[in-house]
Amino acid sequence: MFLSKSTLMVLLLICSTYMLYAQQNVTGRVTDASFGKPIPGVTVRVANTNRGTISDADGRYTIAVPSGSTQLTFSFTGYKTKTASAGSGTVNIAMEEDFARLDEVVVTGLATTVKRSNLANAVATISARDLAGTAPAQTFDAALSGKIPGAQITANSGAPGGGISVKMRGITSVFSNSQPLYVIDGIFVNSVAVPAGLNDITAAASAGNPNNQDNPSSRIADLNPADIESIEILKGASAAALYGSKAAAGVVLITTKRGKTGRTNISVNQETGFVKVRHLLGQRVFTSETALETYGAPQQAEFLAAQAAGKIYDYEKELYGETGLVLNTNLSVSGGSEKTTFYFSANRRAEDGIIKNTGYLNSSLRLNIDHRINDRISVGITTNYVNSSADRGLTNNDNNSVTYGVALAFTPGFTDLHKDELGNYKPNNYSASNFLETRDKMTNNEAVNRFTTGIKLDARLQQNDKTTTRVVMNAGVDYYNLKTAAIFPASLQFMAALKGASIQGSTNNLNTNLNGYLINNFNPSSKLSFNTTIGATLETGNFENILVTSTQLIGTQTNLDQAGATTARQFRQKYRDNGIFAQEEIVIMDAFTLAGGIRFDRSTNNGDYKKYYVYPKGAVSWNLAKMAFWHMSAINSLKLRAAFGQSGNVPPYGSKFTQLIGSNTGGFPGSLIDNQLGNPDIRPEKQSEFETGIDIAVLDGRVSLEATYYNKKINDLLLRRAPSPSTGFTAEWANAGDLRNRGIELGLSLVPINAKNIRWTSNINWWRNRSLVTKLSIDPFALGAFGNSLATFFLEQGQPATQIKGSIPDPRDPTTNVFVALGNSEPKFQMSFFNEVQVFNNLSLRFLIHWKKGGDNINLTRYLTDIGGTSPDFDDDKNGNGVKDGPERLGSGSASIFVQDAGYVRVREIGLYYNIPVPNNKFLRAVRVGVSANNWFTWTDYVGYDPEVSNFGSNTINTTTSRGSNGISTGVDVTPFPASKRMSLHVGVDF
Amino acid sequence: MKHNITKYIKLASLLLVLGACQKGDIPNLNTPDASLITVNPTKGELDNLVTGLESGMRFNLGTYLEVVGVVGREIYRFAGSEPRYTIELLGGGASTLDNNTFYITNPWASRYRTVRQGYLLIEGAQNATTITEPVRKGYLGIAHTIMAYQLLLNLNMTDENGIRVDVADYKNLGPFVEKTPALEAIAQMLDQGQADLTGAEIAFPLASGFDLAREAPDNALTAAGLIRFNRALAARVAVYRQQWAAALTALNASFFDLNGSTSAGFYNSFSTNSNDQLNPLFVPQNQSGEIRLAHPSYATDIAPGDDRIAKATLRNASATQNGLTSNRDAWVYTSNSAPIPIIRNEELVLIYAEAKIQTNAFPDAIVALNRIRIAHNLPAYTGALTQAALLTEMLQQRRYSLFFEGHRWVDMRRYGRLGELPKDRPGDDVWEEFPIPQTENN
Repeated sequence: MFLSKSTLMVLLLICSTYMLYAQQNVTGRVTDASFGKPIPGVTVRVANTNRGTISDADGRYTIAVPSGSTQLTFSFTGYKTKTASAGSGTVNIAMEEDFARLDEVVVTGLATTVKRSNLANAVATISARDLAGTAPAQTFDAALSGKIPGAQITANSGAPGGGISVKMRGITSVFSNSQPLYVIDGIFVNSVAVPAGLNDITAAASAGNPNNQDNPSSRIADLNPADIESIEILKGASAAALYGSKAAAGVVLITTKRGKTGRTNISVNQETGFVKVRHLLGQRVFTSETALETYGAPQQAEFLAAQAAGKIYDYEKELYGETGLVLNTNLSVSGGSEKTTFYFSANRRAEDGIIKNTGYLNSSLRLNIDHRINDRISVGITTNYVNSSADRGLTNNDNNSVTYGVALAFTPGFTDLHKDELGNYKPNNYSASNFLETRDKMTNNEAVNRFTTGIKLDARLQQNDKTTTRVVMNAGVDYYNLKTAAIFPASLQFMAALKGASIQGSTNNLNTNLNGYLINNFNPSSKLSFNTTIGATLETGNFENILVTSTQLIGTQTNLDQAGATTARQFRQKYRDNGIFAQEEIVIMDAFTLAGGIRFDRSTNNGDYKKYYVYPKGAVSWNLAKMAFWHMSAINSLKLRAAFGQSGNVPPYGSKFTQLIGSNTGGFPGSLIDNQLGNPDIRPEKQSEFETGIDIAVLDGRVSLEATYYNKKINDLLLRRAPSPSTGFTAEWANAGDLRNRGIELGLSLVPINAKNIRWTSNINWWRNRSLVTKLSIDPFALGAFGNSLATFFLEQGQPATQIKGSIPDPRDPTTNVFVALGNSEPKFQMSFFNEVQVFNNLSLRFLIHWKKGGDNINLTRYLTDIGGTSPDFDDDKNGNGVKDGPERLGSGSASIFVQDAGYVRVREIGLYYNIPVPNNKFLRAVRVGVSANNWFTWTDYVGYDPEVSNFGSNTINTTTSRGSNGISTGVDVTPFPASKRMSLHVGVDF
Repeated sequence: MKHNITKYIKLASLLLVLGACQKGDIPNLNTPDASLITVNPTKGELDNLVTGLESGMRFNLGTYLEVVGVVGREIYRFAGSEPRYTIELLGGGASTLDNNTFYITNPWASRYRTVRQGYLLIEGAQNATTITEPVRKGYLGIAHTIMAYQLLLNLNMTDENGIRVDVADYKNLGPFVEKTPALEAIAQMLDQGQADLTGAEIAFPLASGFDLAREAPDNALTAAGLIRFNRALAARVAVYRQQWAAALTALNASFFDLNGSTSAGFYNSFSTNSNDQLNPLFVPQNQSGEIRLAHPSYATDIAPGDDRIAKATLRNASATQNGLTSNRDAWVYTSNSAPIPIIRNEELVLIYAEAKIQTNAFPDAIVALNRIRIAHNLPAYTGALTQAALLTEMLQQRRYSLFFEGHRWVDMRRYGRLGELPKDRPGDDVWEEFPIPQTENN
């Protein structure tokens, strides 16, 4: 180790004393080729060096060019990169817009990039403006909705603080990780969702389904969207193979904003808005007769009295009808000298929920510093601190009638639940809890303190006119403490038995990653370039969750020791993954790209922790328009491409053990065998993805089409199969099947109008996926929701992985049931339509429409309101058969009524912004105002609060005693936190 | 260039070294491992497994008692979010019992989990090198006794559909067997437990629910005490098998005491201690929403003066769900830590009565029946001295004495009287048995 370290030091010294030659200054101005206006922020670099600068607000730049250097490159997002000779003292440049984004640089390896025009994969890129420039969503993850072709993104609930399922290209995994890896500036960050122990009170996982239904938020939601410069999405193994066994569900590469040399920019942005419930279901309107029929004579009397007093309440509106205030403030300061640049931001996002006592507060600080030690060595440091607090209420399924929605479903509007004159809530005689009391008294808070930091070292070891060699080192640390508090005072109606409960959890999570790469670029001629990378990666994770439940609280105390009974649980997990890889990329005549790579990966989560698994990849692309024989000037780019890659998905921690859980009796410590059987031979899932496509850009890039077909196969599927329960086990880990996803992604970018004073750009994406279980070496099994009679996901060979089956009366013999396919949660297709119309360079209208065609949910919310006799259409008789719809649905004995089309057309984002013209001055540079609406308009036939819903969450962690989410059962609707919509006013000032 | 290549190789090796700084597997950080504990467990570890065995009996016991209570028309279980208690279990409308729904799958799996725990304990006890033979026999005895009891509860649910009795090797399960051979296998397992306990030394602790097995002088658990528990279960199995003489023999070896306390017996314990469980069936009186109510027939069919009406207390307001109404709470489990009986003397007295009726020893039977009647503030039996009348009386006493303890449905089925159970709504059904869980085919 010592020897290696000293070698490195020597290398650094050699590099830093390399040369100090005479220099000359070059100045100039950068303008837009079409409109002639200056372009600020253009990166001007001396080719093949680290030396560079940025054009100022007037498009002007000055750069010191060492003698011997001959070329300057000018690059700016959205413009074609230009190269010019640095010969004379003044170099003025007119840059052309890159409508088809052909010159955009896209990350292909762990440390290498390639121009989009040579790219072999369909890599989705989301710019800062795409992400949050139209109508900012509440959290980072929600802002991705509708923006990634090939992804199915679903909000699990409307609860403040997020909770989003992101699935790239269909079902990647059923029981292992199904959510993408998030990498922020080279730091691998943790995005699990940790339950708060609400199940102790709701008992949601006690009956029909053992999976946790606490509805925690996923930790990626902590990230401040305003800090993001761009996002690249590697959707599957063919693009992400070098990330090895973390990449199976895709990789989301996030680049945060960095400072630029030049004037210090100060930007202040304020968003002020409100949130409202998107849709309410309505309440049943009772009559004297229906009150009698549903409940009985005493309740009929209660109804009549309430009616006479005019005291019939709309509890749904009272509960979910609050208007929440949104106040987001963002301050950023960036700038720097030639050697050192910085970006600092402070952000506070505060928002109230649509239910009283719910809300979200996120404060974050970011400091990114880049420093050039010398011409050859640069370091970049990223630091981010986040403090967030989410009050999420008590929603979703339960078995004790304590969540808001379940209690509401059983409560008619004619009973009075309000406080009496002494301040005591009236007991709810129709349910176990008074939801108004619960809402006002209980706490369900998630508080996070998170620190994420990383350093990137980039050193040029060697350079001559043919070859450059660099070493890149990346180290990242992501640490957070999550404190959960679920507090139920003893005075709550449903606390009669437990006499108050205080459930507090503390989670400490530390992820680290250390990556090193050696990159050689070799250009034997102008028509040929080789890019060689070798590297090694190491990632560790250390997670610890301590959850303490105290009941029989003393008075109104909430400390865990102020209680008559206390039970503690602790869950720890650790992993260590490491990999070695090599990659070669060859670009011939700027037209052919050939790439190949191989990665060796191992993980302590595998049955055999020493075994390296091998993941190769290969890719080829051919841009015909760059060939000498190409003469069709109307077609700027015509590229054929194909890529293949493999990656793995490590088994979840603990899948190789059969645990003995703690289970005490009579004061004696007990060990009881877990109902989950471990598998000491468990292996990673292996994903092989092939993708191919054609990209065309015509009319100066004003029309471009990207068409992709993929075939993603997953072998050795990790399954928590259900063995015969008479084994004593209800779950068993096995590598027991194969799965296939095939899909098409089409992207069309248009600039229909490009006049001097008006420009209209339009991006249309269309995508679909079809999954199929091609092999299942175990018997088919149900994945939930809640048993056959309420419809269930069912994994079966020869069927889509996302099929929904259920019991319905046998048409031939209605006294018996048959178990049949009833639906599929996979959408038929999805489509998004983004438009921006810019007028006079100052006024901009942007909107994003998202269409999800088909895809079924299992809707059990209406089932509950039917049982409770409170469905708004309970007394209707839509089919005119003389039986009311409520009783008819209840008596049908058929699971088919729970399977409902959850398609929608939604105006995800709409925003109108105006840049107020500011006369040239020293202080004020720009003033923006705008108005935006998020999820404001939705058209759907779905009978529920929102077609986007998931009772089981999406990446809830498995612990010793609770089962996390699986990759399939999203779209189960059980009295969720209703979805909201938001409208905001934006003001931004740049100094 | 050549020099450079050497440099790169050195650097590359540096990078690879980075990846190998830490070594070694990461073990299970959270719990003991099942595959390791049986290799050569200490006495302490075996004791932990016994406590786990005792604890495991309580998992989903609440669900079991509710489900058989609802099907047997002893109670109503109103649940906001779980309507299947008032629909499928009562056969409401066109609904039928499902083979992949919690009411069968959860109790069933929990009982077999405890059986698996029993085999784990047996394996561990057999491999332990640091315990004496009598101590080993104690572990085997409690394991076999509890395992037999767990199998019996599952057979109570599936009845003629049968259960698996050969589950020792989870990788190679035996077939489903029908009710008669299943009961025979359960009886044999109890006999095995008795044989194990004979001459055993009890070195493990059990919760207060097993205090009846303690003996003077030091008030320690004894093998003799556990044998009496074992034989009480054997007596129950014998009457289920209609082996009346065997039932009487088993009773004689049990803790049966005609004049003893009706509540003397063996119980599942609950407490607020750390990592313990609370009685899942306790709900304070007069709650709404998630409640257990006495079936209205409990109060209408009860004899005047019977003090067992206290098990169904009158509510402030009646509760209604899905066309079912009751104005009485089922008030058997009256606190968080109230124990749930496994078997108690009141049942043994009635088993004695049953066996005597069936063997036409009516006077003995009437003595036993009167023992129960008088204990509950009723006059002595004056009904007909026929087997039929006495059986009816015996079943009536079982109904009220063992209310909400999981017996009525089983008893009425044993005597072919399920048709006598009331149906509250048109279209309701009284189910005879539960289907085998769907996943048993896996």
